[in-house]
Amino acid sequence: MSAPEISVVLPKDGERNCWKNAFYRGSAFPALSRILLYNVASKWLADFPKLARKQVYDSFFVEGPTTEIVQALVPSLKQKGSTKDDFNVICSNIERLLMLCLLENEGVRLMVGEFGLLDEQDNNILKPDKVTFISRISQLLSSIPDKVRLRASSALSSHSFFRRVANQLLTGAEERAVQLNCNAIPDAAFLFVGETFSHVCRRGSIDVIVAEVIPRILSLVQSFLSSNANLVVPDVINSNPKSHFWLNMVEAIKDQYAVEKFSEEMLRQLASTSISDVEVYWILWILFSKNFKFGSFVRGMFVDKFLLWKVFPLCCLRWILQFAVFECPPNSDAQMEGRKTPHFLNSLQLLISIWSRREFVQSSSMEQQAYLTAAVGLCLERISKEELDATKDALSNILQGVSCRLESPIDLVRRMASSIALVFSKVVDPKNPLYLDDNCCEPVDWEFGMLPQRKQIAAASHNEDENKSKLFLREDRKSASDEKKQRVIKHKSAENNALIQELADPDENRNPVEVNGEHFSGEEDDDDSSDSSLKPYDLSDDDTDLQRKFSQLGDIAAALRKHDDPDGVEKALDAAEKLIRASPDELSHNSGDLVKALVHVRCSDVAMEGEEDSAEEKRQKALVALLVTCPFESLDVMTKMLYSSNIDVGQRILIIDIMTEAAQELCNTKVVKREQKQGELVSAVSQPWYIPSSRGPPGAGPWKEVSEPGTFLSWSHRYEREIPSRPGQTKAGKSRKWSLGKAKDLQVEWSQNRFPLYAAAFMLPAMQGFDKRKHGVDLLNRDFIVLGKLIYMLGVCMKCMAMHPEASALAPALLDMIRSRDVSNHAEAYVRRSVLFAASCILIALHPTYVASSLIEGNQEISGGLEWIRTWALHVSEADPDTECASMALTCLQLHAEMALQTSRALEAADQFKAQTRTLPPKLDNIIIPFSSTKF
Amino acid sequence: MSGGGGGGKPRPPPDPIAVMRGHRAPVMDACFHPSRPLLFSGAHGGGAGVYSVATNFAIGNKVVSQGRDGTCKCWEIEEAGLSRKPLVTFRTNSYHFCKISLVKSASCSSQSSKAIPASERIVESDYSINELEENKKNGVSKESIRFSDVNCAERSQAHLKDFSTMGERKLMALAGEDSSMVEIWDLATAKKLMRFPQTSNVDAASHPTMQRGMCMAIQAFIPSESGCSLNLLSGYEDGSMLWWDIRKPSLPLSTVRYHSETVLSLAVDGTCSGGISGSADNKIVMFSLDHRMGTCTMRKEISLERSGIAGTAIRGDNKIAATAGWDHRVRIYDYRKGNPLAILKYHSASCNAVAFSADSKLMASCSEDTTVALWELYPPKGTS
Repeated sequence: MSAPEISVVLPKDGERNCWKNAFYRGSAFPALSRILLYNVASKWLADFPKLARKQVYDSFFVEGPTTEIVQALVPSLKQKGSTKDDFNVICSNIERLLMLCLLENEGVRLMVGEFGLLDEQDNNILKPDKVTFISRISQLLSSIPDKVRLRASSALSSHSFFRRVANQLLTGAEERAVQLNCNAIPDAAFLFVGETFSHVCRRGSIDVIVAEVIPRILSLVQSFLSSNANLVVPDVINSNPKSHFWLNMVEAIKDQYAVEKFSEEMLRQLASTSISDVEVYWILWILFSKNFKFGSFVRGMFVDKFLLWKVFPLCCLRWILQFAVFECPPNSDAQMEGRKTPHFLNSLQLLISIWSRREFVQSSSMEQQAYLTAAVGLCLERISKEELDATKDALSNILQGVSCRLESPIDLVRRMASSIALVFSKVVDPKNPLYLDDNCCEPVDWEFGMLPQRKQIAAASHNEDENKSKLFLREDRKSASDEKKQRVIKHKSAENNALIQELADPDENRNPVEVNGEHFSGEEDDDDSSDSSLKPYDLSDDDTDLQRKFSQLGDIAAALRKHDDPDGVEKALDAAEKLIRASPDELSHNSGDLVKALVHVRCSDVAMEGEEDSAEEKRQKALVALLVTCPFESLDVMTKMLYSSNIDVGQRILIIDIMTEAAQELCNTKVVKREQKQGELVSAVSQPWYIPSSRGPPGAGPWKEVSEPGTFLSWSHRYEREIPSRPGQTKAGKSRKWSLGKAKDLQVEWSQNRFPLYAAAFMLPAMQGFDKRKHGVDLLNRDFIVLGKLIYMLGVCMKCMAMHPEASALAPALLDMIRSRDVSNHAEAYVRRSVLFAASCILIALHPTYVASSLIEGNQEISGGLEWIRTWALHVSEADPDTECASMALTCLQLHAEMALQTSRALEAADQFKAQTRTLPPKLDNIIIPFSSTKF
Repeated sequence: MSGGGGGGKPRPPPDPIAVMRGHRAPVMDACFHPSRPLLFSGAHGGGAGVYSVATNFAIGNKVVSQGRDGTCKCWEIEEAGLSRKPLVTFRTNSYHFCKISLVKSASCSSQSSKAIPASERIVESDYSINELEENKKNGVSKESIRFSDVNCAERSQAHLKDFSTMGERKLMALAGEDSSMVEIWDLATAKKLMRFPQTSNVDAASHPTMQRGMCMAIQAFIPSESGCSLNLLSGYEDGSMLWWDIRKPSLPLSTVRYHSETVLSLAVDGTCSGGISGSADNKIVMFSLDHRMGTCTMRKEISLERSGIAGTAIRGDNKIAATAGWDHRVRIYDYRKGNPLAILKYHSASCNAVAFSADSKLMASCSEDTTVALWELYPPKGTS
């Protein structure tokens, strides 16, 4: 294009602005911009030289007011061009222009200024149409990263774009704040910034903004802190125009959701920096204090949402409490004593009342519990006894909360209770702190290993819980045995003294001899010889032989009952397992007696200090041995005891644990069977004549036939046997025998899983009375731990007979039990976990062909039960508050899907069979597999 | 039993050379014949039996047994065992836990140990036949036996004549009908001669000895010094030990309390100038008796890890002492120095008594496990 000479009269500045305004704000600009964006861009722009493009084309947009530019550019991003190529060209051009206008030219900052000017023109009155205009512009601005094409420049990606936008917005707003100088709030410029923030927040990028905000406000606060030492007074901040911007900033964000997200993100990001508590306090103060005082929303957000519903790291919790509950800077503890706000006690009361609710303990997630416990604990640390007395219900609520937590099967929950109890006891009597368990240490660790690492909670497995509950029981017993411990310690020290004396004696013994030397004067001639002849033997001594040896089961049972002879009981426990495993003939007669005696032994009273666990273990092992060696008789007694009212919860749990272990052991037993000898059916004598007699040295092995290598027919029998080596004889090395014949089969046969034989005896009596309520027995409510363990045990039983026909026989009964509302919808997560476990075990245990046949036969118990498992697991995985439950439910669903697959295969096989034989009753032709839809 | 290597590891304690298993009940006491290779033992179980057996030179070829039935019996030792019927039966009416004691004479025992020729080893089978017969005949088991030898008795008569009237008689000391009293009986006539403390009936109950509880152990002896009158050591339930002289029956010569628990056994050495006591507490006390001053002083106190010493004995040559412990162990001490020499572990139940043979070569230990074990320890120089 050749440039003809054109005479141009440059207008004056004011005139020019006027023209500009008229052009850009009039209707001409949108129309012209549309032509430029669509027609020019798609057809000719590529041919423009770079400089021309910049001077002529770009300046059209760059020079204009940014609000108009945005309105013109952004909507065009989504308008479809005629062809795809056109569209791409158009879009890339718009993107380029946007980057140019908004980012390079700092158009966003200019926009803030524009709104400010706009405001001044209108005398600071925010008309509704202006508000909508502001909102529209900010929405357009924040939508840019979402509207640009995927291949657009990275500067327009939401992260970097918003970062630069936020930067410009903040700078602009700061400038505006300086202009305003404490007047005229609400201001359109602030409103725009706030609106943009909330739109950005709604688009999920609040973190970018917060990251921009923090360094600015932090440097501000630090400047205050450094200039005023520790005497930062709100007035100082108020008087600073810079801080004024921040004071109004949050107010300008009208969207409550955005404020909440903004504050939350702010706290989390602050937590990841190494920032002091004082600085954080003042940051929060500057941002929120205005709203906090007057707006119920911000107060509600901090006191209600952030304390009760969210989970922050512990340091954030401290900040939140400091700001919202204590309402004083953290370095002014002394001042605070005098002026605790009424809000403080109200908030505390609210916290405590929620904390103490049983439902909260049962249904909220573990990190939530830890968080709230920490909040309560930190508040209690600040309270005095008088204040505590003044708050109604707080005292009783705390006690109630502590006691219901102490009953929990989860160790962590109990630790929370003991921590609160410790803090509480220090409020009541600072000199007499109450330590509920040994691990309780003085500066309480409020994190409980929970709050910062938030992902690890779900990993806690069922087994861990079990251990924990065992631990719990043990701990309970520990306290009972304290007295005994002391006694033992005394006894020990006495013994030690004796030992020392005995050791010291040889040195002392000269004196008496010398003193009394006269008595032996007549024999002095012998002395030398006697001295040498009386050489001491080895004087070492141990008391292994003194320990009572039990050789009769009856003795053991009798010794176990003598609670006043702890040594005897301990030794009986030592000997019990070995003796029972030996399985003597009288075991079946004594087993019931032994079971009772073993269950009733109080290990903690018997064992020495520190050895309670080993005594407990011996007891358990002995009981397991009993169940394994003599299942029917022992189970008979044990299952009766399980629901009898004269044993306590600990013993009930013991019984269930024992049964679990025994089931597993029976399942894995290896029975050594002698190979049946063939061809001896007629023989009247136990040993055929041709086998050599069994006489020989003791310990000789049985005779074995040796096959003649090389021939199949042998005319003679050859036998060999092992003979123990003679006393003096030593074996040199190993001997190997090579033979042509095949390696003979092992003489022993490993037969696995003896459990199915006893499964019914294990399960049916235990399932019988779980829902009955008797004196001291209340599985469904109070003793839910027992119930959980029981169901777990039943699950293990199912697993132990997986794929055996017995499983199919017992599964309906177990399904029936876990399907009952009280069990499957139990308030305690512990029970629900057990139910999920049991359900999974059933899925594993049932043989697919059995499921298939029960479907074909229309066995409602099984098909209905399995379908119930699926629906219930689905429900749990979606709605259960306990994360562990949810993940277990997912596993359960997976297992169900696998089972369904296997079953459908089995059904196919059955169909083929049916086609061949046509013997199946016709009514069963249309069977709907209830779970065929559940493929994962 | 090896002579003993030089340094390094000490020898392991010896095993018994013989174990006699004839009894069916806990063996309560055993004693060697003073001259012949015989061992008498008494077992007591199920309410009947011999609680103690005793013999020594002074009573001739006889053995005395004590039951818990209120009687003591004196038996003749015959060729093939004991006499079918006891020579004498005493109705002592005492039902207590105190074993009887024959009189140990300082001169007698020291002579005898030299006088007796080395006797043959007692063979187990001999022993058990003997014992079983005895059991069958009596229908009771024995509790403690002490022997006396005729020869020795004759020899010591010369001394005894010089003593008080008691001297020449064959005497026996035991806890009496009132178990806190000690009584002296004449074996020949089966009559009670004296009792300690000798009090008038009026103040009997208030006598300090009465407050000491039952008499649990007695040792009678005639020291060569101090006028050679009969002396008595008696141990009581409260742990005190009294030393009586027969010439002053109303008050003990000396009263000591070395033990905190019941004194269960007392033994006086061959010279009668000291002894050893065991009790239910965890101490063994070696004491010496000063005859001129009439005082008893503690020479050595040995503390034990496990309490309860049911029996003690000192070998005739006064070199070693043995204790029978409730902890199933027999402990050997150097009697003069008091240092431990061996811990003998064989018995599987608490030991009730130990006894040394007159020639000092053998030791017998008897136990609740119904066995009697024979040990050969530190044999005297002349014989080894």
